[in-house]
Amino acid sequence: MDKVELMIDGKRIDGRTADQLRPISIVANPIRNAAGSAYIEWGANKIFAAVYGPKEALPKHTSDPEKAVIKCRYTMAPFSSVEEHGKPGMNRRAIEISKVTAEVFENVILLNKFPGSEIDIYIEVMQSDGGTRAAGITCAAVALAASGIPMRDLPYAVSAGKVGDTVILDLNKIEDNYSDADVPVAICPRKKEVSLLQMDGNLTKDEFDTALNMIINSGSYISQLQIDALKKPYEKIEERYL
Amino acid sequence: MRKIVVPGEIISDRPLRMEGSIIEDGKTCSTVMGVFDDEKGTLISLEGLWYPRPGEKVIGIIDEAKLNTYTVNLQAPYKGIIISKYTEDIMANGDIVEAIVKDVDKTGMAVLARARRLGGGKVVYIKPSKIPRILGKGNTMINQISDATKSSIEVGMNGLIWVKGGRIDLVLEALVKIQEEAHISGLTERVGSMLKEKTQ
Repeated sequence: MDKVELMIDGKRIDGRTADQLRPISIVANPIRNAAGSAYIEWGANKIFAAVYGPKEALPKHTSDPEKAVIKCRYTMAPFSSVEEHGKPGMNRRAIEISKVTAEVFENVILLNKFPGSEIDIYIEVMQSDGGTRAAGITCAAVALAASGIPMRDLPYAVSAGKVGDTVILDLNKIEDNYSDADVPVAICPRKKEVSLLQMDGNLTKDEFDTALNMIINSGSYISQLQIDALKKPYEKIEERYL
Repeated sequence: MRKIVVPGEIISDRPLRMEGSIIEDGKTCSTVMGVFDDEKGTLISLEGLWYPRPGEKVIGIIDEAKLNTYTVNLQAPYKGIIISKYTEDIMANGDIVEAIVKDVDKTGMAVLARARRLGGGKVVYIKPSKIPRILGKGNTMINQISDATKSSIEVGMNGLIWVKGGRIDLVLEALVKIQEEAHISGLTERVGSMLKEKTQ
């Protein structure tokens, strides 16, 4: 494979600087039948997340008498990507992402309030352009908050990576495929706790610290977008009477 | 001052014991989307789930009639259960019932008492977090609606509302209006004027 030039004069292929995010917009509750839902556009990523429950855990053997169980299903639509990612149904990659996403929310939701029940989180990628697991977690957090399920925190996720010697934030599809490392991280912003950390490729310790700092610095912006999306429907109604 | 809070937001530097919040490191932190009033020290959730509490009135739909019990769908995480010998009515699947929560067992299932079958009518589901607003202070809001529309209305704390007779369309319109605008003050007057306008 030929080496692709991903950084020219400090600018990336889509014109961003190293620590710049793609444009993000979040909408809360676009799906009427779900207990809570959200839609995110993160660059060219278009993702829906919906939450159902808590409800009786079925099949019965999956339930836990002490706490609720989280069942997460991340899937990519057959038309979401030009390459092999767009196969319908659950594949190895989708099962892995579903598992790590469920583990992010297990640490955040107050599970002991609903013994024996299950909470379903569905993440559907309509169009993918790299970093969909991070965008999916950010979107699902909004959906959970909109459904009223009690949570300790509102997590967000971003990926960082490395191109040559430069650490970059929020990789897109081409950067993801040809970069030297990809590190998706989910953070609970109140205490800055890391609840997801995966690393594909190699980073030195210094590079890793730079990447994590970039992710935490970008967090306040993403968190604010999540909060704005949640508050917007209420403020819209309030405006009518001011 | 009232403000809208989101999960994970620190709402007070002091530990306050409120529903929908947790105390961590001596600070109070919200766990739900809600309206926090720092003068009164109250947190009212905007979106939320219903947890059964003894003494609450609920409306449910019979899910299954068993030999000596009925299981009731309460549109909540957990089912309700009616023990046949404590009710005089004979019920079938799909019947609408009104009952009082007598007890909540360890698994979260609500044991219901004083169950009564409600004949006819329609059932609507409203977000359980808006039910206190639908009832109003001392049931003023719901009395106002039933007086204006001449409908008989039974409100369950789990979010199911049974309506029979009168102007059902108007009742539904009022309920949806309350659900949407519950977090803004002066609601009783607004609903009152809407009902007055529509019934003339």
